[in-house]
Amino acid sequence: MASLGDLERTVMDRLWAADGPVAAAGLRDALAERGLALTTVHTVLSRLEAKGFVEHDDARPRRFRPTATREQHAAELMHEVLGRSGDRQAVLARFVGGVDPEEARLLRQLLEETAPDAR
Amino acid sequence: MLPATAAALAVLAALLAWPVPAWLGRVRWPRRDPLVALVCWQAVGLAGGLSIVGALLVHGLAPWGHSLPEAGWAVLTGRSAADPVRGDHWGALTLAAVLTVELLGVLALSWARTARTRRRHRELLELVVQPSPAAPDARLLEHPAPVAFCIPGARPLLVLSSGMVAELDDDQLAAVVAHERAHLAEHHHLYLLPFVAWEAALPVLPAAARAHAAVRELVEMRADDRALATLGGPDPRRTLAQAIVVAAGGAGGGVPDGALAVAGSAVVARVVRLVTPPPPLPPAARAAALLAAGLLLLAPTVLLLLPAV
Repeated sequence: MASLGDLERTVMDRLWAADGPVAAAGLRDALAERGLALTTVHTVLSRLEAKGFVEHDDARPRRFRPTATREQHAAELMHEVLGRSGDRQAVLARFVGGVDPEEARLLRQLLEETAPDAR
Repeated sequence: MLPATAAALAVLAALLAWPVPAWLGRVRWPRRDPLVALVCWQAVGLAGGLSIVGALLVHGLAPWGHSLPEAGWAVLTGRSAADPVRGDHWGALTLAAVLTVELLGVLALSWARTARTRRRHRELLELVVQPSPAAPDARLLEHPAPVAFCIPGARPLLVLSSGMVAELDDDQLAAVVAHERAHLAEHHHLYLLPFVAWEAALPVLPAAARAHAAVRELVEMRADDRALATLGGPDPRRTLAQAIVVAAGGAGGGVPDGALAVAGSAVVARVVRLVTPPPPLPPAARAAALLAAGLLLLAPTVLLLLPAV
């Protein structure tokens, strides 16, 4: 039994792979191997819509499409993490913050100077 | 109540508002034992809040009784003041209330905002990235910049960018992951919380920003230390230092020289203490620092609760 999160990811993958907006029935058919009921597909879609990942048009039946590409989502997240916007408390501890070129040079020099001599 | 209690608390508050954090931010020993230094910073932050609010309360409630518990009880039970209540008493009480509400409000607000952002980040990551069965709490994000970070919470996530994986060898990558896991294991985000509140509540206080920066730096050093303890290999210190340098210089490219060297930065300090480790703090010094932290918290508490003579 797949978890809801797993289903959400699968549905998003389908929507991202599709050429255009897809209706819920189309998604159910595309995911036929999982044997989903149409209501389940609708539940997943409305959850995704509430989270802002999916939007629908006014056609009948409604057709769904992703609000942004996978790459756009990744870029948005990185933008926040890199500290140019948003809440820098949310991400604890980026492994290393950025340094300016002079510091980067200093750091490489430091590593060279302390390199083990036995070679 | 002796005005001396209020005066003593005010002096303590003044010391904790500037000279003590300035000293703790300047001395070199914290990098020899980041954990002990973090405990000291927490004591400074808490004792600072306790003594400033306490000083105002003690002064403001003086007409109602001879000690804070006594005066507080008198006010709560609706007894009238024994001595005349002057304007400065009301002023002190108002200031105490404003400061308390502001500190706690900012704390609650930043907690809520951070929790919301983290939830959004987690939702995004869980949707965009397929988890690998080998590491269910880790996600690999497609992005050229070398970045690693973690999202604390009930279901913590550890995130590496594809740029990071491409730049590092296996040992260096293991060091980065160990560093991030150390943050999560020791709940380092909680250490930062009081200082976020101080900085947001009193942006005019230079010590608040300084303390926040110092604690951020110490948390990174502590995570480095924890990571080293779990790493194998011939020279884990060097491996971790290399990983830091690669990740920091990720933008890379042409490096202009001749500019002023900025050896003061947190990243440089981290690398320096990895490649040329300072001697660990002697047990006696550790104990003394921890004792001082304990006394620092005890002093305002005792001053507040003790009945005046």
